[in-house]
Amino acid sequence: MIRLSAQFRLAIQRAMLPILVLLSGAIIVLGKADQLFFDSVRTTMTDSVGPVLDALSRPLTAAGSVIDRVRLIVTTYQENVRLEAENERLLQWQQSALNLAADNQQLRGLLKAVPENSVSYVTTRVIGNSGGAYVRMILVNAGAEDRVARGQAAVTGEGLVGRLTEVGSRASRVLLITDLNSRIPVTIESSKTESTRTSAVLAGDNSERPRLIYLPAADAAKVGDRVVTSGEGGVFPPGVPIGIVSAIDRAGPRVEPYVEMSQIGYVMVVDYGLARALPQPLPMLVHPKGRGKTPGTSGTGDETVAR
Amino acid sequence: MALKVFSLPSLPRVDNGAARLLPAATTLFAAVISVLPVKIPGYAALTPMFILMAAYHWTIYRPDLLPPLTLFAIGLGEDLLAGSPIGVNALTLLLMRCAVLGYRRYFVNRTFPFVWTGFTLLTASVMLALWALHCLLDLSLLDFRNTIIRAALTVAIFPLASFMLGRAQRAVMGAG
Repeated sequence: MIRLSAQFRLAIQRAMLPILVLLSGAIIVLGKADQLFFDSVRTTMTDSVGPVLDALSRPLTAAGSVIDRVRLIVTTYQENVRLEAENERLLQWQQSALNLAADNQQLRGLLKAVPENSVSYVTTRVIGNSGGAYVRMILVNAGAEDRVARGQAAVTGEGLVGRLTEVGSRASRVLLITDLNSRIPVTIESSKTESTRTSAVLAGDNSERPRLIYLPAADAAKVGDRVVTSGEGGVFPPGVPIGIVSAIDRAGPRVEPYVEMSQIGYVMVVDYGLARALPQPLPMLVHPKGRGKTPGTSGTGDETVAR
Repeated sequence: MALKVFSLPSLPRVDNGAARLLPAATTLFAAVISVLPVKIPGYAALTPMFILMAAYHWTIYRPDLLPPLTLFAIGLGEDLLAGSPIGVNALTLLLMRCAVLGYRRYFVNRTFPFVWTGFTLLTASVMLALWALHCLLDLSLLDFRNTIIRAALTVAIFPLASFMLGRAQRAVMGAG
């Protein structure tokens, strides 16, 4: 190491703190101004720390499942009673759903409707959350290597979780629907009158329950209405379930998402084939980490309906 | 805030590599564990500010081993990882160092309640400043309740963090 005079070293030491404080301030301003550059830095960072987070989050997942199991044992009896009642109800619904599906198929045949695009899934594990009061994001352990791309939807069995905003080669960041910056075009399906479908935008505000904005009328949404994606804007396909209108407060109607954001362990990143115009629909590919899987012959039931 | 520069107090020299790295390593660890997913409803928004605990502890006991450059790097890393506006954590940690070094003589060699009171004041001001900064960056009035709960959780967990950091310090550096 170069020997510096004691005085010079002291001067550097003294100047370091103010310089770095100013530098941080400058970075905050620059980060706001040039988001693209910092996003790429962020992606690189996420990518390199991804494996570490992956390893560290595993024991947490295990601990979580132990707690879940204990909770299950405690509530088994009530749960069973509830499920039996629900099952009875659902069996009736199943009958009507089967009837409707048959009807639907026939009518589609009559209309020569184009089948919906097939989709491909990549199942990923949640390896990190945003860890702060001001952003709602999660990190997942799939990236470009797993054929995941920016803009794709992240869903669970219950409904929509969010959308991929940054994709690295091994890890990606999902902007949750509850985040302040999330805006999703939705359709409100009224629970009372069957035919009403109102368009609105679901706006996150960092709370657990996002708001509905740009409603055509103040009373367009009622408590209990179902909210699904509308498909406008082309990011999500129409009809992906989001949640139900749970309350109407000063800021407007609030939507309780079907997905409990804090309980997500795995999400499916879904390629609806909307991001780029594909010459042919992607074949169904349900395989975690869809890597090295050659597309099979497409010949799903849908195909026979329209052509 | 005036950026007064304080001369570092003379502390016992440590030559042991592990001991020299301990403050930076534990602060980095605190940054990483704050983004781990914990399945507690609402936890993500209320995650205690672990990084502040570690940085405060070391700034009081071994400011020489957690220099501004390290704080800056760790803060920036945390920003990149957590998705918060870039530079915010770095600035917070550096200003924390300015403030704590100024009052260090009131804390060092005092009983734990003094240290804890200091941390409470620090957390309150940091949380308030962060809230104001985020409001400014997002150009909207953000919910203040989460901030209060987060501050309370951070203060409540500090004794445990301080105990563990203290144990690690004694184990690796010896008494001091």
